[in-house]
Amino acid sequence: MTRSEITPSPDVTVPRSEAEIAARMKALEALMIEKGIMTTEAVDRLAEIYENEVGPQLGATVVAKAWTDPEFKARLLANATDACAEMGIGGLQGEDMVAVENTDDVHNVVVCTLCSCYPWPVLGLPPNWYKQPAYRSRIVREPRAMLRDEFGHDVPESVEVRVWDSSAELRYMVLPQRPPGTEDKSEAELAELVTRDSMIGVAPVRV
Amino acid sequence: MRAATTEVGDARRRVEQLLTELPRDGEEQLSFTQPWELRAFAVAVAAHENGLYDWSEFQLALIGAIREWQDSAGRRVEPWRYYDRWLEALESVLSGTGVLDGGELNYRKHAILTTPRDTDHHHARRDPVAVDPAR
Repeated sequence: MTRSEITPSPDVTVPRSEAEIAARMKALEALMIEKGIMTTEAVDRLAEIYENEVGPQLGATVVAKAWTDPEFKARLLANATDACAEMGIGGLQGEDMVAVENTDDVHNVVVCTLCSCYPWPVLGLPPNWYKQPAYRSRIVREPRAMLRDEFGHDVPESVEVRVWDSSAELRYMVLPQRPPGTEDKSEAELAELVTRDSMIGVAPVRV
Repeated sequence: MRAATTEVGDARRRVEQLLTELPRDGEEQLSFTQPWELRAFAVAVAAHENGLYDWSEFQLALIGAIREWQDSAGRRVEPWRYYDRWLEALESVLSGTGVLDGGELNYRKHAILTTPRDTDHHHARRDPVAVDPAR
């Protein structure tokens, strides 16, 4: 094998194949593990945690508590990081969180225009569309049209739409409106209604 | 030792199987579309947790990689894929710390690509592969 066979040409003219990228990642992980930088167990554990254990269901419990406990809601809106910590929720990328409340007059929606900053501990990992350039640019330029066209969420003209740009320093989550007709529901039942999209602000909570 | 039967090996297969078995038409709703993306994600977090870099360094590298892709409109051949940029950022910060060597990575990648998966499993094997004879 010659060196030229293993070093890619600098002016690549064809996209890399999925197999090639997968092999590259596999090689990278193997090298890091061999060098003792990390263990397979640690990587597996992290993969499992983020795939299965954290996710929007944690954020949903926060929203349901805010709907049923006015004092908690006040604390959440004053300092979302501390309020989530009260519920044992927090961690990497959740250090500085701000909750913005949807009302009859204001609808909030969250984006990260630079990359994909997102409050993982409460919402899990962001969905693919959140990371697409199309979402990141258009939601800023014409949020109302994008919510209507892409998410089927028609925000009335009488409601102001605010787009919040999450960054590495500060991450937003939306406190959606409690839907009408849910007065008799328990906090746990309410939490089941709350979706990830409602906490990004691209959908309302529906009964 | 048969790694295939360890608890961790099982956990890994479970996660990867979950990912590959998810319905494709729901792709836009998934956080990961390919198993390697989840590995890339987990490795980046593990390296950070082991003190190789500040998370902010990784984020800056990711922002840079995404910006570079966006600025290369017209010249680029690769479609938009978030985790491609993630991997690029990961390689960049790991190289910066000196623990990753690009040549070594290319060499290993090549070795993986030229080692066929399940080399023998495309052929029917009609005989036992091992026999422990009766005594």
